[in-house]
Amino acid sequence: MSDADSGPVRGGGTDDQTDDRPRPDGGLTVEDRQIRERSWKRSPSAVLGRPLVLTVFALTFLFLVFPVVATFVASFAREWTGVLPSGFVTLTHWEQVLGFGGYEDAADYSLKLGAVLRTLTENPLAAPSQSPLFRSMWLALGGVLVNLVVGVPIAYAVARYEFPGRDLLNAFAVLPLAPGIVLGVAFLRAYPELSGTDFGLIVGYSLLKAPFMVMAVQSSFESMPLRQLEESARSLGASWPRTFLSVIVPNAKRGIVSGAIICWALAAAEFNFSYVVFSRGARPLALFLKANISNSSFLTTAAAVSVFFLLVAAVTAALQLLGNRGFST
Amino acid sequence: MADITLDSVTKRFGETTAVDDVSLTVGDGEILGVVGPSGCGKTTTLRTIAGFETPTEGRVLFDDEDVTRVPPEWRNVGLVFQSYALFENMTVRENVQFGPKMRGVSKPERRRRASELLDLLDIAELADRDPTTLSGGQQQRVGLARALAIEPTILLLDEPMTGLDAQLKTRLRRELVDLLDDLDVTALYVTHDQAEAMVVCDRMAVMNGGRVEQVGAPEDVYERPANEFVADFVGTSNRLPATARNGRLHFGHATTPAPDGDEGDVTVVARPEAFRVGEGPFDATVRERAYLGEHVRAVADLPDGESVTLRVDPATAPAPGERVSLALDTERVHVLSDS
Amino acid sequence: MSTDEAAGGTGGTDGRRADALAAVSAAFHAGAARLPDPLGRVLQPHTERDRERRRVIALCAPFCLLATVAGVYPLSEMLRISVSEAKYVSEGFSLSAYERLLADPHLRASAVNTLWFSLATTIVSLGVATATAHALEKYDLPFRGALLTLLSFPISLPGIVAAFMIIVLLGNTGLVTNLVAWFTGRSSVDLAVATSVGGLFVAYCYSMIPRAFLLLRGSYAEVNERTEEAARSLGASPARTFYHVTLPQIKPGVIGAFILTFRTALAIFGTVLILQTLRVWTYEIDYALSSGSGFDIQLAAAMATVWFAFVLGFTALGLRYTSAEVGL
Repeated sequence: MSDADSGPVRGGGTDDQTDDRPRPDGGLTVEDRQIRERSWKRSPSAVLGRPLVLTVFALTFLFLVFPVVATFVASFAREWTGVLPSGFVTLTHWEQVLGFGGYEDAADYSLKLGAVLRTLTENPLAAPSQSPLFRSMWLALGGVLVNLVVGVPIAYAVARYEFPGRDLLNAFAVLPLAPGIVLGVAFLRAYPELSGTDFGLIVGYSLLKAPFMVMAVQSSFESMPLRQLEESARSLGASWPRTFLSVIVPNAKRGIVSGAIICWALAAAEFNFSYVVFSRGARPLALFLKANISNSSFLTTAAAVSVFFLLVAAVTAALQLLGNRGFST
Repeated sequence: MADITLDSVTKRFGETTAVDDVSLTVGDGEILGVVGPSGCGKTTTLRTIAGFETPTEGRVLFDDEDVTRVPPEWRNVGLVFQSYALFENMTVRENVQFGPKMRGVSKPERRRRASELLDLLDIAELADRDPTTLSGGQQQRVGLARALAIEPTILLLDEPMTGLDAQLKTRLRRELVDLLDDLDVTALYVTHDQAEAMVVCDRMAVMNGGRVEQVGAPEDVYERPANEFVADFVGTSNRLPATARNGRLHFGHATTPAPDGDEGDVTVVARPEAFRVGEGPFDATVRERAYLGEHVRAVADLPDGESVTLRVDPATAPAPGERVSLALDTERVHVLSDS
Repeated sequence: MSTDEAAGGTGGTDGRRADALAAVSAAFHAGAARLPDPLGRVLQPHTERDRERRRVIALCAPFCLLATVAGVYPLSEMLRISVSEAKYVSEGFSLSAYERLLADPHLRASAVNTLWFSLATTIVSLGVATATAHALEKYDLPFRGALLTLLSFPISLPGIVAAFMIIVLLGNTGLVTNLVAWFTGRSSVDLAVATSVGGLFVAYCYSMIPRAFLLLRGSYAEVNERTEEAARSLGASPARTFYHVTLPQIKPGVIGAFILTFRTALAIFGTVLILQTLRVWTYEIDYALSSGSGFDIQLAAAMATVWFAFVLGFTALGLRYTSAEVGL
C-alpha cells in the first residue's frame, strides 16, 4: 500500500559507496540529462476504485464483527440504557446464564451447570444430560461419529474412482439435501416417536452436516496423489481395506479432523431442525439461545449468546491449530 | 523505441531486499538479457520496469522521462509471460485486439493491426480459436502478438521459452531474434538459461542476490567473467589457484605464461575448451568420461588434488584411467586476483 | 485372495473352524456364481475392475444408507401425507392440501415475499461479498489472516443469533439506533428498525455475506494474476481490467455462489422467528405445525414439498445451464 505513495527517493546506496572500484553494473551518469516526469493521469477507477472497495470492506467488517464484540462486552455490564452499556464489571448475567447463583428456580433458560455440579456427586452419569450445553455436545458428537463413517468413504470414492453416477452422487454429498425445517417436517411425519429423541436428532444432524465433512475431507484428498498411494501400498503387499485404513485415512487426517470440528460446531448450533422436532429433555444449545432471546432480559441474552461465541472461538482456534483458516463454508 | 535507465533501484519486500541498488541502461533498440538463478531479483527488476512494483528507492527512466510512479497502463510496455497469460474468455483475435481497444484505437484499425501481427507471427489461421485449444508454442506466439499490438516502445519478456520443448525452443528463439531486429524495439529478456540469453541478446546482465554482477556482451561475460559467481553461472568453468610472478603463472606442478595483469595469488578461470589434450605442462589422469554427442566431456585429476573438466573431440577422447598431458591456452583464461 | 476382502482374515489356527469357514465360503461362492452376472461379479470379482466396482459400492454404501434413512424415506413420507386423503394418516390420493395452498391468499403473498426478499438479499450479499473478497485477495491488507478469521466467524452463528446481532445494532437499545438518536435528538424507539422489513433485510445479509464471501474467495484464489497484469500493461484501467479479465474468470464461482446463497436465503427461518416482520415460507411451515392452526402436518408437508421441489429444480437448472462451480 505504502509503495504506491512513496515517491522516488534519490541517492540510496550510491552516496555512501566510498570505494572507487567500478560498479559491476557500470554505474550511471544521469545527472547531466534533462529528466521530466512522464505525463499521465489516473483513470476514475484508479482514483476511486480502491478507496471505494476498501470502504465497503471496512463497513462489512464492522457490520459483521462489531455486534459480536459489543454483545460480549455488554454481557459484563450492569445496564444498557444510554448509547453505551455501563456499570462494569458484573458477572451476574453470566451466573444466571450458566445456572449458578440463586436464580435457579426462575431461570428456566439457564445452562444449569450449578445443578449438574450438585448432582455430579450423587449421580455422575445422569448429571451432564441436565444441561443444554452437555446435551448439545453429546448430540453433536453423535452426529460427527455418523459423519465420519459416512463422509470419509464417500469422499474417497468420489475423489479416487471413476464410476457411473459419480457426479450426481458428489452433488448429493456436497449440497445439503434439505434444510433443517423441511427435514424437520419430514422427520415428524416419518418417525413420529423417534424424531424428538437423541436418536432422531443425531441422525438428522448427521444428514444436515454431512456435506461439510465431505468437503473438508475432499479438500485433503485433492492434494494427495491417491492413485499412487493406493497402488504403491498394494504393491507392497497391503490388502485394499488395509490400504484404506492405514495409508489413505491417516494421510487425510487433517481434513478429517477439521471436518469433524466443523460438523460438531454446526450441529451444536443447528436451530431450525432442533426447533421443529425437539420434544423433551434438556434443550439443545440453539434452543437455549432461542429461549433466552425470546424471554430473558437483553443483557442476560447477551451473556447467553456470548457462551456460544466462546464455543465458536474455541472451535476456530482448534481449526487454526490444524492449519485451517476458520470455517470453510 | 526508447532506452531504459534504472537509477540505483532498490526494492524491498518487508525485510527481504529483492533488488539491491541496481543501475542499468538498456540502449535504444537493444536486447538486454537478464540472467541469474531463481530468486536473484531478475523478475522483480522486470516488474519494476513494467510498473507492477514501485521501487523502494531509485528511479526508472524511459528516455528522458521519469516513469517511476507511472501506472502500468500508461507505460506502453509490452509484456510476454512464461505462462502466456492469455485471456481465456476471448478468441485469439480478441486477445490481440485487446490492447488497441483499451487505447481507443478504432475498430477497423485494430482489426487491421491484429491481422497484420497474426500474419507476421504465422498464426493467421488460429485467429478465431479459443486460446485454451492451442499448443504452448502457438500460445506464446499469441502472447507475443498481443504484446506487440500496442506498438510498444519497450518489450519485456519473462522466461518466454521456459516450458516449451527443446526443438520448438530453438526454432522460436531464432524467429524471435529476427522479429526483434526487424521491429527495432528495446527489449529486456529475463531467463534462467544463459545459453538462451547468449543467442538472443546483444548484451547480458548477470544478477545474483538482487545485485547486478556483470553487464556485457555475451563473449565478454563468458570469456572474461568479472567474478567467480559469473564464471560459475555462465557455462562450465575450471578454477585453479595459482601465483602470478614475473609474467608466468605458477600452478605448483606446472607453469605457463601469464596474461597481463596482477601479480601475487590469483584464481585462474579456464573454460573446458581452453585445455587441449596433447603436449603440455600439466600431467593429468582421466577419471570420468561422458559422451555428449558433439563432444566428450572428461574430468581429469591433476597431481596436486585439483581436477579439471575438459572438452574433447569424441574421435580422440582418452579413456578413464589414461594418463594425459594437457596444454592450457593462456589467451583464453581469465585471471582473478585473490586480494 | 479375493475372499480376504469379504471375510477379513480367515487365517484361524483352529482346523475345524477353518473347515467350517471353507464350507461356508464354498457355499457362498457357489451361490454367488448362480446370481445374475453383474451382481455375482460384485460378490465374487474376477478382475481388478470388478474388485474396484465392489470397493466403490462399499465406500458409497454408508452414505446411501444415511441418505435413505434420514433423507429419502422421511421426505417420501412427507410427500405421501401431503397427497393423502386423510389428514393424519397416509392413505389414498388427493391434492386437497395443494389446493388449499393455492387458494390461500396469505400463502400466495408469503411465496411472493419469500422469493423477492431472498433474491434481493442474495444480490446485495453477493455484491458486498465480491468487494470484500476483492479487497482481501487483491490489496495487500495488513493482518490478512486475522481479518479472514473474523470475517468467517459469523458463518457458524445460527439465524437466531444473527437476528440478535441486528437487535444489538438496530433494536430499541441498539448501538446504531442510540447513536443516531444521540446525534439527531430523536427518540430511539422511533428510530429502531430491527423489527422492520429493513431490519430483517440486514439480518439476512448478516447470515449470507460471510457465506458468499468465502465461496467467492475460493474463486478469487484461482484467478491468474498474470492475465490481470497483461491487461494493465496493454492499457486497461483497474476497472476495465476487472470487467474484461477478472470477472470472466470468477464468473463460474459467482454463479455458484449465487445458487448456494439463494438456497441459504430461502432456508432462513430462525431469523424470521425472532424478528417477526415478514411471513416467509419457512415461517408459514412452522405456523402450520403450531397449535394455532391445529398441528396441520398435511399442510406443512405440502408446503415443505413445494419448497423442496422448487429448490431442487432451481439448483438442477442452475447447475445444468450455467457454468456454475459449486462446492469449495
